[in-house]
Amino acid sequence: TSTEKTGLGSSIESEMEFVSPEGLRLDGRRPMEMRQIRGEVGAVSKADGSAVFEMGNTKVIAAVYGPREVQNRSQQMSDKALVRCEYSMANFSTGDRMRKPKGDRRSIEISLVIRQTMEACIMTHLMPRSQIDIFVQVLQADGGTRSACINAATLALADAGIPMRDIVTSCSAGFLNSTPLLDLNYIEDSAGGPDVTVGMLSKLEKVTLLQMDAKLPMETFETVMQLAMEGCKAVANYIREVKNLIIQYPLLCTTREYQATGISLWCIAVHQGNKHEPRALGSYEDWEF
Amino acid sequence: MVADSKSAFIDQTVVPGDVVLDLSSMSNHTIKLGQGLRQDGDVISVMKAGKLRFSKPNKYWVESSNKRYVPCVEDTVLGIVVDQKADNFLVDIKGPTLAFLPVLAFEGGSRRNKPKFEVKLNRVFAFLKMGVSSSFTNKQGLECHRTENMVKSAGISSEKVLLLLFSECRFFPFSELNIIYFPSQVGKLLYVRVVKANADMNPELSCTDVNGKAAEFGPLKDGYMFESSTGLSRMLLSSPTCPVLEALGKKLSFEIAIGLNGRVWVNAEAPSTVILVSNAIMTSESLTGVQQRIMVEKLMQRVQ
Repeated sequence: TSTEKTGLGSSIESEMEFVSPEGLRLDGRRPMEMRQIRGEVGAVSKADGSAVFEMGNTKVIAAVYGPREVQNRSQQMSDKALVRCEYSMANFSTGDRMRKPKGDRRSIEISLVIRQTMEACIMTHLMPRSQIDIFVQVLQADGGTRSACINAATLALADAGIPMRDIVTSCSAGFLNSTPLLDLNYIEDSAGGPDVTVGMLSKLEKVTLLQMDAKLPMETFETVMQLAMEGCKAVANYIREVKNLIIQYPLLCTTREYQATGISLWCIAVHQGNKHEPRALGSYEDWEF
Repeated sequence: MVADSKSAFIDQTVVPGDVVLDLSSMSNHTIKLGQGLRQDGDVISVMKAGKLRFSKPNKYWVESSNKRYVPCVEDTVLGIVVDQKADNFLVDIKGPTLAFLPVLAFEGGSRRNKPKFEVKLNRVFAFLKMGVSSSFTNKQGLECHRTENMVKSAGISSEKVLLLLFSECRFFPFSELNIIYFPSQVGKLLYVRVVKANADMNPELSCTDVNGKAAEFGPLKDGYMFESSTGLSRMLLSSPTCPVLEALGKKLSFEIAIGLNGRVWVNAEAPSTVILVSNAIMTSESLTGVQQRIMVEKLMQRVQ
């Protein structure tokens, strides 16, 4: 089966089916269903703040250093903190081994995008003449790496105690087979259809990142963007719960598996399907000193 | 206090963006905001993730435990000297910027008796000027063989480095060994007090108390320093005495210096005591009082 580049109601015979007649996608999700998300804080012990964030098969690790003394005096800003961000993909993150994990145009672009998004929410004026470094690395890439990186960076910044206006969350949405789809995976993303990524301050409901590939008519764009924003809110709800556990148990990295299903366009009905009990790293008696 | 003026989030975990108070619904009150909270128009919202605390009559703050430190006046911290300038030592206190410690901020400090901290890091620049003799008058004929040696640990003394360089020289006759030796007073661990702390300036420290006496401030000799979080430091410094320190103090004798910036220094007669105390403290952050006592007892049993 061949895939059409525009995905905009093109000829039916040559278009691959991304949404079956029953309304199921290639991985069995409904069109408005997100992948399973999972977040964990404190993964990198040396960093001031760190987090691992998974959206389905996409897995990303973020580490934050700062606020600390600026290393390059020429870049020091007298009234606010310098925010630096570096995005890289591990060689083993994609199907075929990547030859150039960072420094290529896509990585530089995504680094810039993440930096601008986080800079909008960090209160940089409270830490003048200092530097905050955000390093995000993709461990497994299955579409939506940009969104997973922003979510992981938010968790890592909150773990580091850096003052922020709000939690920034991000989610992507697309439009294939005339259906808006939430949270595209790699196959759906590479189908050539539009891919709208939205980054949003959850409580204030302000959009800080909006990117789109390919083309969409205006009315459809409104629908798809709204869907992505609802996805952002679902991620923000999940992050609030993850933070709850982490603050109570600072040394134990507890994880919870959380499934957000059944997202309708105008309201989130969050179904807590496979919610496991918080798992501690054994009780203190099992610890080896 | 009127019921509606208290936030519903007190003693609960909050994340950045949460709105804890809505000032438009409250009548004439003065609210004092501590760290982690900010005023955004008519609402008070959270900046840092942590637990919201309230103290009568009107103080709100967010208690969080982080690895970085926010400098505050009158805090006692553990700093590491990084560099020395004309008037100040540059001290790293795990804050957003380096802190200044004036050279005179010691008891009886004057221009004549400046503190000399033990030299731990030496920089030795040495270069060999080849073929130096009276017949070479212009510099174009000279080759410079430059060696740069930086002694990183206290294990190798500067004298040994110089001996190595001298031994290398004998392979080059008619050459001149030039040595420039920079003894620098860096790397020393200090127990200091924060005197000035503004966001826009480097914080200023002092090794004396308010009256100008030394009072335990100054360099810390021997012992072992480890870094933890600010929450652990606050717990260790709380009164009544923290359970883990009380339990350790009953059986062992050691001395300890706790910096509010997350650094803890432990010293004892035997290294095994130092290790035991450090491990006990590092693992006690998330345990309750009873758990801490049991943990210390188990540690003692395993050692004895």
